[in-house]
This record gives sequence, C-alpha cells and structure tokens, in this order.
Amino acid sequence: MTAAAQELLVGASADFLRRFSPFNRMEPEALDFLAQRAVLAFHPRGSAILTPEMGQPRHFFIVQRGKIQAQQWGATTVTEYASMTLGPGECFPIGAISAQRPSTNAYIAVEDSFCFQISSDQFLELMQMSPVFHLFCTQYIASLLNQSRQQLQTSFAQRAAEQQTMTTQLGQLVKKAPVFVAPETPTRRALEEMAAQHLGCMIVADDDQRPLGILTQSDLLPRVVLAGFDLSLPISEVMTANPHQLPATASAYDAALEMATHGVRHLLVIDSDGRLKGVVSERDLFSLQRISLRQIRAGIESAHDVESLQRASRDIRQLALNLIAQGIGAEQLTQFISALNDALTRRIIDLALYTHNLYGIDYAWVAFGSEGRHEQTLSTDQDNGIIWQCPEMEDASQVRRRLVAFAREVNENLANCGFPLCKGNIMASNPELCLTLEEWKGRFGDWIREPDPQALLNASIFFDFRVLYGNERLGDQLRQWLNRTAKMNSAFLRMMASNALQVVPPLGRIRDFVVEDDGTIDLKKSGARLFVDAARIIALRTGVESSSTVQRLRQSAVRLGVPTEEVAAIIDGFHFIQLLRLRSQHLETEHDSPGDNRLDPDKLNELDRRILKEAFRQARKLQLRLKLDYQL
Amino acid sequence: MNWLTRLLPTRGDTPALDDELRTRLQAWQALAEPDLGRPHFEAAYTVLNTEATGLDLDKDTMLAVGAIRVDGGRFSPADGYYAPLSGQPAAALAGLLHFVGKGPVVVFNTGFNRVMLERALATHLDVAPTWQWLDLRVLLPALFPERIDRPARLADWMRAFSIETFQRHHALGDCWAIAQLFLAAQSRAMAQGAAHARALGDLERARRQLWRQP
Repeated sequence: MTAAAQELLVGASADFLRRFSPFNRMEPEALDFLAQRAVLAFHPRGSAILTPEMGQPRHFFIVQRGKIQAQQWGATTVTEYASMTLGPGECFPIGAISAQRPSTNAYIAVEDSFCFQISSDQFLELMQMSPVFHLFCTQYIASLLNQSRQQLQTSFAQRAAEQQTMTTQLGQLVKKAPVFVAPETPTRRALEEMAAQHLGCMIVADDDQRPLGILTQSDLLPRVVLAGFDLSLPISEVMTANPHQLPATASAYDAALEMATHGVRHLLVIDSDGRLKGVVSERDLFSLQRISLRQIRAGIESAHDVESLQRASRDIRQLALNLIAQGIGAEQLTQFISALNDALTRRIIDLALYTHNLYGIDYAWVAFGSEGRHEQTLSTDQDNGIIWQCPEMEDASQVRRRLVAFAREVNENLANCGFPLCKGNIMASNPELCLTLEEWKGRFGDWIREPDPQALLNASIFFDFRVLYGNERLGDQLRQWLNRTAKMNSAFLRMMASNALQVVPPLGRIRDFVVEDDGTIDLKKSGARLFVDAARIIALRTGVESSSTVQRLRQSAVRLGVPTEEVAAIIDGFHFIQLLRLRSQHLETEHDSPGDNRLDPDKLNELDRRILKEAFRQARKLQLRLKLDYQL
Repeated sequence: MNWLTRLLPTRGDTPALDDELRTRLQAWQALAEPDLGRPHFEAAYTVLNTEATGLDLDKDTMLAVGAIRVDGGRFSPADGYYAPLSGQPAAALAGLLHFVGKGPVVVFNTGFNRVMLERALATHLDVAPTWQWLDLRVLLPALFPERIDRPARLADWMRAFSIETFQRHHALGDCWAIAQLFLAAQSRAMAQGAAHARALGDLERARRQLWRQP
C-alpha cells in the first residue's frame, strides 16, 4: 500500500521536474533517483534558505513554486547579477555544492516558496549517475566564466568608448590646467619650471591669460644652448611669438592638420574669450587613433630601424587593450600578441641580417618558454636560442662566433623594443644556447638521463620551443627526437610530474585563497604554471608535438580518452587565469608601474573570485591526474 | 476470543481479524502518545485525506485513504500512504494506523474526514484512535487572513497558493496539495508563535469560536 503511494508521489515529483531542463533530458533512472529523494519544504517570504554563513551547503534545492533571489554576498556586489531571481525548475547552489564550499550567494525567498531538496551526498551521487546532470552543472560553471568574460569586455569597452576619436573637441582633450609664465619672467626661472614639472613646452601669457608665445624643448638647443643665450633675460626674448592656437571647439582632426601643416608639435587651446585653456601635443592626438592589426603588421614589415619597431611594440600593447574591449578571449588574445611579437622579432632579425652575413649557415631562431608556447602576455622577457648545423668544411667555432654576434644584435634590439633581456641569460647570444642540432640533443638527453632539479627546471623552459625564423625542419627534428626520448624514459617523466606537483593551487581550507605575505597570489607561479607544467608532461607522454599548453591538453585528451567537457573545463580555467594576468598587466602598465603577475584576490569582484577558485580547482584536477598517472 | 478483542469495545459486526492484523493493531496500541508540545521542526504530523463516493455522511461510503507524513517541516514522496478500501478494508486501515501512529493528524475539513475515518476504523477494526485532529479549513483562514478570511474550499486555497496536484479528488492527490498547504501553515504558525501541535489546536478552537459569534 505504501508502495502505491510512493509510486504516485514520486511520479508527481518526476512529472513536475520533467517540465524543466535539464531534468527533462535526464536519464530515466537518474530522474527516478531524484524524484524519490526530493523532499519538499516551504520557505516563507523573506526567509533565508541558504547563506554563506551557513557553511558548506547541506542541500541542493530545486524551486518548485515561488521566487528565490540569489544575492551576492559581501561588499563587492559589482557583477551584472548583483541579484538574480530563480523561479520554478531552477536550482541552486550548483557551484558551492559541487565544490563542497560555502555558497557565495545568499538565497532568499522573495515570495512564499516551495523547494525540493536533496542532500549534498545525494547531489554528488546524482552527478555521478547522470551524465546529463553532470554536463548541466559543468556548463553552468562554464557560463559563469562566460559572464565574467562579458563583464570584463564591458568594462574595457567602456574605457575604449571613453577613448575619444579624432572628432573629439580639443576642450575635452585638455586634461591639465595650463602652466604659463609672464613675458618678463627670467628665462632661467621658466626653464627651471619646465624641468620641475616635466613640461614639453612653456607658454608665455599676459595677465589676462591670453597666450603671447611658446618655448618648446626642441627650441632649447638652437636658440638657447648653442646660441649661448643669457638666461637672466626675460623669456619673451627667446619664445616663439604668436603661437599656433585653436579654439576649444575645434576637433582633434583640425589640430592634427594644423600640426602637420606647420610642423609643430604643440598647439594652444583657447576659449571663446581667447584665454588659454591648455595645450595639446602631437602625442595626445596620436593616442586617439585606433590602431588596427593590419596597420601594425604593415608598420612592422616596413620598418627600417629600431625606432619604428619600438613604436610598433607600443602599438601592440594598445591593440591588445582594444582587442579585449572587442571581446576577444585570452586564447585569441595571446595568439594575436604572439603573432605580432613574432613578426616584430622576424623584422628585427631581418634588420640584423643586413649587417651579419649568415649566408650558407643552416639555422633556426627558436623561442623558449611562454613565447615558445604562444602564450606571451604583455610583460615577458626574452627566452631564445639558435639551433644550427655546421656546413661541411667549416670550422664550428667560427660559425658559432658569427651566430652569436648576430644574436647579440637581435637580443639588444628586442630589448629596445620592450622585451627585456633575460636575467637568466636564456638568450641566443649566450654561446651555451647557440647549439647545433646534435648539441641540443646531447643537452636535452643529459637532462632526461639525469633529472636533477636544475635539469628539470631547464626542461620546463627549453622543452617548450618553437622556431620563429630560419629552417623549421631543425625544430621538427629536435621535437621528434625529444618526444621519442622522453617517452622512453618514464622515470624522467615521473620526476617531472613530481616536480610539477610541488606547487599546489593556492586554495585555502579556511580562507578562499592562500595568499603570500603581501596578500597577493602570483598568477604565474601558482596559477598558469600549474597548467603549463602538467600539459608539458602529458604532451611528452602522449607524443603531442605542439608546444602550446591548450593544444597539448586538447590533443593529449583525445589520445588519453579524456571527455571533451572535462578538458574544456580545464582549458577554461587556464584561460581565465591568463585573462586575469593580461588584465592586471594592462591596468598596471596604464599606471606606469611594471606589469607583473600579482593579484590581490580581495580586489576581485565576487564573481571573478568565484571563477578564479574554480580555475584553481581545475588545476588541482589536472594535478590529481598526474598524481594518479605516476602514482605520486 | 483473544485478548485484543477483550480489550476493545466489542461489536457484533466486527469481522474476525487474522493474526497479522492483530499483531499490527497490538503494536499500534503499544505506541507512546506524542508530545504535542514539540516544535514543528522536530514534530511529525500525518496529513490525512479520504476519498468517498460523495459528500453525504449518511449515504456515502469511503473509497480510499491517502496519507503523507510531514516530518520536521518537510515531506518526502517516499513517505506516503495510499490504500483503497475495496477488497480488504481492515488491512488498509490497519496499514493506515501503522503509518499514522498516535498522531497528530491534519485534514482539510474534519467534519467530513474525521467522521468518515472514525466510522471506518470502528467498523472494520473496532478501534477509536484518540488523535489530535487539526483542521486546515479552519486554520488556514486564521493564519492567512490576508489571502482568504472565511471558510473556503480546498480548491480556493490551492489557487491562493498556486498549488497543483497530480490528481484532484483522489485521496492521495488531494492529500499532496493539503500537505503543501500544511507546510505553509506550519511556517506561518511558527512565525506567529504557534510553535507546536497544541498551539495549533488552540488556534483552531479560537477561530471556531469566532465564527460561531454572530
């Protein structure tokens, strides 16, 4: 008799659930499992069903009737859904319960509501039992990633929109109040003022703030220094009188035209009464122009000196910012950066080849480390080397000397273009890294045979190589040899794995994140590298030839039979960390402090913090895989 | 004549009970009386509902009974009881007694359900349970006067809470809806300080008195 009742009531719950996704797609036995265990409870309007303070959620809820509001908890409610309303068929808390951590949202009944609930253990059981439900939960987490990305895009788009175009009125471009002196001011005082305030020019104006003249930095050499001008004389005697000026209502385009026509770099902006409002410089206008990929590319390829390449390098950074604003993800973004940096490096090599004759030498310029993986962020120093083959009848040491000399010029020019010289001297100009194919094989072979800590560290840098210029076949040969050799040495791979496992994801047991003394997380060391290291080992084991972390993960997953959605979640996690790195580097560089990989998790908004945790959890998953594979 | 029938008031038409049923009744009799002062979140209630041939107590007979246990403010589809009375009514009712225990019980409209059930229990098992009966027909207007402030039909209350059920006018189908109403009632009662079954009983009495006044 009880059985009859159960059947009816379970059937009723199942019928209800079947009206909603993902339950309507759920496997019959999984739905039955859920319907049998789903307990119904009532939550009066205004009551809290689940809050972060309740600790790890003990139940998973499915709204049966009513409205539940998910509210972001804590001070930082800046995401697009500071609150979100859940109705019948919707469930919560997916992220918290699957990760077995407190919810980051508070769930409040905003109407009298009924919710089905199952225990967290039953939830986990259901996840295991039902691929449909599992996918649903994974995709939910992925959609959070998406949301965060969109949010990031919006905030950058906003900034891009704030960036004015060439139609902007000059009045809006003027940021600072003008600095000016009276015409009778002694020149020395005016120059001291310029130096103290780092001004490109000094304006001379009368008591009514009407501009009378201008003295720019470029005037100093011919008019003051070389002319032996007496600095005690009034500035009016050395200034350019009747300076070029435009009304505040003129456009940036008008200003650019004026400058181009008269060959001046500064223009005075005046208001309708002819009073000085400020100065615009050529550089102010230049930064207004949107830089396109094609333009930069063309700029790089036609560059004939390091100066124009320096400009291109700055443009690449600007482009990266614009690309984020246009909604490009970390993967494409790093690829773009990488592609442009490649082009820049190639052009630098081309230029160096004008002065260094390498004719007849078979060589390849290779990039190591992040550049070798196509994963350059904005602040990476150089890691490069050369693979070469000694031509017959030639003296190897002679050839090496020529190559090293050439490499030195390339390294220096790269440094001039914003790729700092490598502190560890991992550069092609280091004779130790300008090796023949056989020498590289010998070097790599030593590390594999005797994997001491230094060898393992080396492997983690040098095994991620890629040919940037020259004979690609040299790189292919080295890669194939390396994969074969590493695969045969399972002891080496095991050591690599054990080494990779020494850094763990900075997830705390009590607090969300384990931070370093300064309260930050190193997104490179304790973030991206966890993925990179694991991917390298898996790639060596499965013989994947790509040097990119994402490609390594994707391709080896196919070979190892890892489900696509599982590897996709890991890759999402990696991309998210990369995106945070890029973002922080952007923000950092805009404040003119050196870009680095440090992130204060407290400064993240709630959603990003949550996703970052999820990303670290994916790293942990990847590490777990290594642990199992190598029984560590 | 066994000991049980000696204990129970005898009636000429009580059918002879088989051993199994007798054992069940015996176990039921031996249950402790519930503590009516336990707060709702710790207490178990049984929501009962009968299905009859009609609504006339004199003419109509009971067809089936449905029951759902509300334990600690929630209920599970695994915790229900349903039995038609055709066939083996004694067994069906003994099962019900076993399921309900010593109460308290919740119905929508005691006037009909209580009479139907007590009559059936007396007829087939010769027992008269001393359950505390709680009537949602009276309690709901007392607790949710802003929704309906008068005696109303089950359908009206279901609409007021937009509660649906898998089958109306089915003993268990309606019971499912009533159980959901009871969850809401418990929660509101709790907020008003009527934290246990006894307090609900007081509330019900007060409301009945109020209705009796002109």
